[in-house]
Amino acid sequence: MFTIFRDLFRSRGAFAAGALLLAVVVLVAAASLVSPYPPNDSFVVPPDLAPSWPHILGTTSRGQDVFWQLTFAIRNTLLFGFIVAMVSRAIALVVGLVSGYAGGLTDRVLMSINDTFIVIPLFPILVLFYFVMRDSMSWTLLALAMACLGWAYDARLIRSVAMSLRTREFTDTSVFSGMSTRQILAQEHMPYVLPIVFSTTLNNMNWSIGLEVTLSVLGFTNIDTPTIGVMIYWANQHTAMVAGIWWWIFFPVLLVVITFVGLFLLAVSMNEYIDPRSRLSRAAT
Amino acid sequence: MSNPVLTVSDLRAFYQTSAFGIQREVRAVDGVSFHVAANEIYGLAGESSCGKTTLIRTIAGAARPPLKVVGGAITFDFKGRRVSVTDADPKMLAAIRWKHLSCVMQGSMNVLNPVRRIRHSFIDFASRHVGEPMPVFLEMVRVHLRRLDLEARVLDVFPHQLSGGMRQRVAIALATVCRPDFIIADEPTTALDVIVQNSVLAMIREVQRELGSSLIFVTHDLAVHANLSDRLGIMYAGRLVEEGPTADIFRKPRHPYTINLISSLPRIGSDNRNKGLEGAPPNLANPPSGCRFHPRCPLAMDICRRENPPMTEHGPGHRVACFAAVPEKVQ
Repeated sequence: MFTIFRDLFRSRGAFAAGALLLAVVVLVAAASLVSPYPPNDSFVVPPDLAPSWPHILGTTSRGQDVFWQLTFAIRNTLLFGFIVAMVSRAIALVVGLVSGYAGGLTDRVLMSINDTFIVIPLFPILVLFYFVMRDSMSWTLLALAMACLGWAYDARLIRSVAMSLRTREFTDTSVFSGMSTRQILAQEHMPYVLPIVFSTTLNNMNWSIGLEVTLSVLGFTNIDTPTIGVMIYWANQHTAMVAGIWWWIFFPVLLVVITFVGLFLLAVSMNEYIDPRSRLSRAAT
Repeated sequence: MSNPVLTVSDLRAFYQTSAFGIQREVRAVDGVSFHVAANEIYGLAGESSCGKTTLIRTIAGAARPPLKVVGGAITFDFKGRRVSVTDADPKMLAAIRWKHLSCVMQGSMNVLNPVRRIRHSFIDFASRHVGEPMPVFLEMVRVHLRRLDLEARVLDVFPHQLSGGMRQRVAIALATVCRPDFIIADEPTTALDVIVQNSVLAMIREVQRELGSSLIFVTHDLAVHANLSDRLGIMYAGRLVEEGPTADIFRKPRHPYTINLISSLPRIGSDNRNKGLEGAPPNLANPPSGCRFHPRCPLAMDICRRENPPMTEHGPGHRVACFAAVPEKVQ
């Protein structure tokens, strides 16, 4: 595992760049642990200060320090993306592996559910979800809702691999040796699809963070939990752009763009490494 | 002589599909009977698509739809423990597999999961059948690997890091590590070059002798059979057409198909051009009536078109299913 990362770091500029960008983002998020101000308190510092020492990224109209506010926001946003990715990956793995291996009726039922999730429009559903939940809407609930909507494409991908694995000799041997279906899927098939899952995880994080930011900016989430989107939402509420408080909007946007680019670069370079054909062509050059 | 380890009687296994309202039936194994004695290597020969693999899949109890056993019986006798594969429930089959009955499948280089280390393949497939604690089991595996000229180091590598011959030996080790009474080998050496093939065959024989197990060995390569098998069964279009001691069959084949098969082998010192047999094996979804070989048979008679020839004794342990073959007179 370590040698793989070392090789990737040396051979792929994209991987190194992505890893560095993400490291910056994670460091900022980690800084929230030593923040001098609680995230939800307002008017703890003088409002509307331009970036200068000691408020390096300035302060907001609500009297909050932008930098420290940002550390909480990016931590929640990253965690959000991570939780959505993990939960949706778990669903995708189970559905994909079972569907591909079992075939027949099981496959047809699971795939019709899967295809339903692929075609339903996400954004209106999530907005509707917000209006239904309203006061009981929370950060965790939104994460779970998005996880339940974001697994379908990957389940199809995993299923296609599982279908080919089902006909391999080692699957026959596993069946012959008396392994249960659960054991075959968990021990023999899952290691095979994990690299693919790993790559789609990063893309899924990008997708969920993007959607969360969109919803928050529009105010369709719980605005008491600071996230990048919620920060921009508050900035808009206080007409930060008109008032000339540009740093209130600029730095959250910059940080989330850095996150996107970092995750994207990692996903792309991983993808090239995981696909044996592009790995070979890379080795040749 | 003790009871045969495996008795197959009048086995019929068909591929049955019904898709889009069309029923199809491929009679891949149709009325096959034979037995395999203890400590014997039984060879099964025949051209591609004659039902060899179907037959042994059925014997291994690994018939999955669309393959279905339509009739007949398969009975194992593992030192007094009788198991009928055709009636046994899955639990019972699971209990005998690997411990008593194991299988080196076709393309056996692929029985190893490409993303798991060899050690895990052994643990996944075999350890449950041994019932020893893990360190004892792994020591057993190491000893067994040494028997097959493999270092214990191979346990820690991935299959793609081994050469074809080594992978083949690992596959054989995997199938034999539980000291089974009965081993089924389906073309285990077909993908190898002749030199590696030779050493692998010697190894199979050695392991078989040492464990005292019975072995069904399937290959279309008659040269391999000549080297390895004690007795040989020749299959044609889903039926057993001739069976006897290997030397006997090579020296004096009786069935016209076998005669042509044997004469197609190149012989040292012969300048004759080998003549091929006209035609192709029949479509098993719609086999010819009577003897399935009659459209290609040079000796075909009227009765061959109407009736299926029964297996008749033509010598000691030598059975032939042909109306035209005349039993040898006792001299």
